[in-house]
Amino acid sequence: MTGETTARLGFLAAVTAFAIAAPLIGDSYILHVMVLCFIWVIVVSAWDLVMGYAGIFNFAQLAIFAVGGYASGMLAIGTGMPPVLAVPLAAVIAGAFGLLIALPCLRLRGEYVALFTFAVHLALPTLLEKGRAWGTGGASGLVGVPPIRIGDLAFTTSNKIGWYYLALAAAAISVWLIYFVVVQGRWGRAFVALRDSEAFARSLGIDEYRTKLKLFTLSAAVTGFGGALYAHYVGVMTPRVLGNEFFLMVMVMLSIGGLGRFPGAIFGAFLVTVGNELLREAGQYRLLFLGAIVVLVVILLPNGVSDLLTRRKKAAAAKNIEIGKADVPTIRSGVNPSCSP
Amino acid sequence: MQQVLEILVSGLSQGAVYCVFALGLSLVYGTSRILNFAHGSMYMTAAYLAWLLTAGWLTLPVGVALLVLVPVLFLFGVGVERLVIRPLRPHANWKTATMMATLGFAFVLDNLNLVLFGPTSITLAPLVEGTLALGPVVISRQSAVTLVLAVLVVAALQVFLTHSAFGRAMRAVSQDMTGAEMVGIRVGRVYAASFGISAVLAGVAAVLLSPVYLISPLGGWAPFLKAFVIVVFGGLGSTQGVLYAAFILGLVEAVVVAELSASWTMPIWFLVLLTVLMVRPRGLLGSWGD
Repeated sequence: MTGETTARLGFLAAVTAFAIAAPLIGDSYILHVMVLCFIWVIVVSAWDLVMGYAGIFNFAQLAIFAVGGYASGMLAIGTGMPPVLAVPLAAVIAGAFGLLIALPCLRLRGEYVALFTFAVHLALPTLLEKGRAWGTGGASGLVGVPPIRIGDLAFTTSNKIGWYYLALAAAAISVWLIYFVVVQGRWGRAFVALRDSEAFARSLGIDEYRTKLKLFTLSAAVTGFGGALYAHYVGVMTPRVLGNEFFLMVMVMLSIGGLGRFPGAIFGAFLVTVGNELLREAGQYRLLFLGAIVVLVVILLPNGVSDLLTRRKKAAAAKNIEIGKADVPTIRSGVNPSCSP
Repeated sequence: MQQVLEILVSGLSQGAVYCVFALGLSLVYGTSRILNFAHGSMYMTAAYLAWLLTAGWLTLPVGVALLVLVPVLFLFGVGVERLVIRPLRPHANWKTATMMATLGFAFVLDNLNLVLFGPTSITLAPLVEGTLALGPVVISRQSAVTLVLAVLVVAALQVFLTHSAFGRAMRAVSQDMTGAEMVGIRVGRVYAASFGISAVLAGVAAVLLSPVYLISPLGGWAPFLKAFVIVVFGGLGSTQGVLYAAFILGLVEAVVVAELSASWTMPIWFLVLLTVLMVRPRGLLGSWGD
């Protein structure tokens, strides 16, 4: 049995466990926290795809998230479009926004990409605040984003159990798409090769620019989908989603989980969302904490919590070689042993 | 004519301060290949320290406060390099790791300032008061002093980099890290010193700019963005490029402020930047390198 099959089975088992657990939870606050966890799983795994697996320094992740949320909210409020249609359309818009960012900046080298995308993140709140005329709601944001309705079923903010299943399904589909279809498919091999050895990948005929462009667009669409769900769940969308708090949170999620180490990012999303709720008491010191956690985790556990797992795997691999059962190295494990999931 | 001269003077003095600030970012990148996302927050922290020394806690004159700040900030920069950056160097993904760490550190500084000083903006006294008449052109003494001081700092840095042994070592490291190490340059010291100098430059810029732009916990991001545009425009890691880019963009800003309004500065800077990157992706004088 290969590691990939184990990962798939583990993933299905986890989703099933979550699905069964819902009615047992009952408490609406815990359900609420779980819904937030699922939404952040979508956002962070899409970020992991770009930052961790493709090695593109994208710091515009929350900007794309906000664009998804705003697009869906503005479509639903401004044109009266049913949210069931607005959400997928918002994903498409966010994908297009991602493509717009990617077009100029993927031709640049790493650091320029980091600065460029971060500049997009910093510029967006001002645009949203000044964009009252286009229906962004200015500094107070969009209020009264309508709930998603499928037939007679209305996913209002108070319908926690409904949202639990909706967000769980959305997160499961996103994770499946990102880690099992893209990362393990042809694309995935192509961009892991690109990340680890650009020259080698080029010699195999991989078109760097197009691969990265497709990937960035896909990740942006998934992120925008997460943003749209968030907007309809919470019912409001303000420029504050681009503030320090959310940015720090997704950074901690990814650094705790470890870049490009499935399922690290997902663990990170759960840990941080729950931890952030527990830290509510700390008030204004909370952000200070979160910042310090980023720095400490990056220094002490450079690959996140999965560092501990990889160490065990390496020990096991060393044992296998001893008794002559070593796997034939594939491109992925040959170029960078740490990135096979 | 008179208006043109006024725009010119304000553009030059603005450009000179931006140059001081952006040189810090560029110097660190040049020597250690690290993009310091905390540069703007270090600038703000320096501004808060200057405010503490002149109004908040002591009542020193601004000039004296600046002199006190120089060694303090140098040590601060060295400390940041030792504690936050150095442990990450041996790591395989050190580029991503240092970006995350400096960004995290920036948020630590921002929120520390927020907790300590509160969200309201405060202002720093200018170095000198009053105005200066040069024929028909009237400029504030502050912008004249700013121009002179900034040009002096930039010139001093240039002389240091080209004529002193340590400055030459820094340039050697920025050209070829391994080669520099082989000929016996202590690379670790160069990294630490470049962070220290970068913090000092941020502090000088903070003292010069804060009387105009206010001091607030998140106020460092706007100058950081400007420094970023300048550094990318000039070419990452190129000191000469920063010089040209800062003055060009300073003049652009002065024209924009005079003809349109200050809120148009950033959009137009970005436009300039995008055009430059489309035509010449490495900036004016940048080289790709690693």
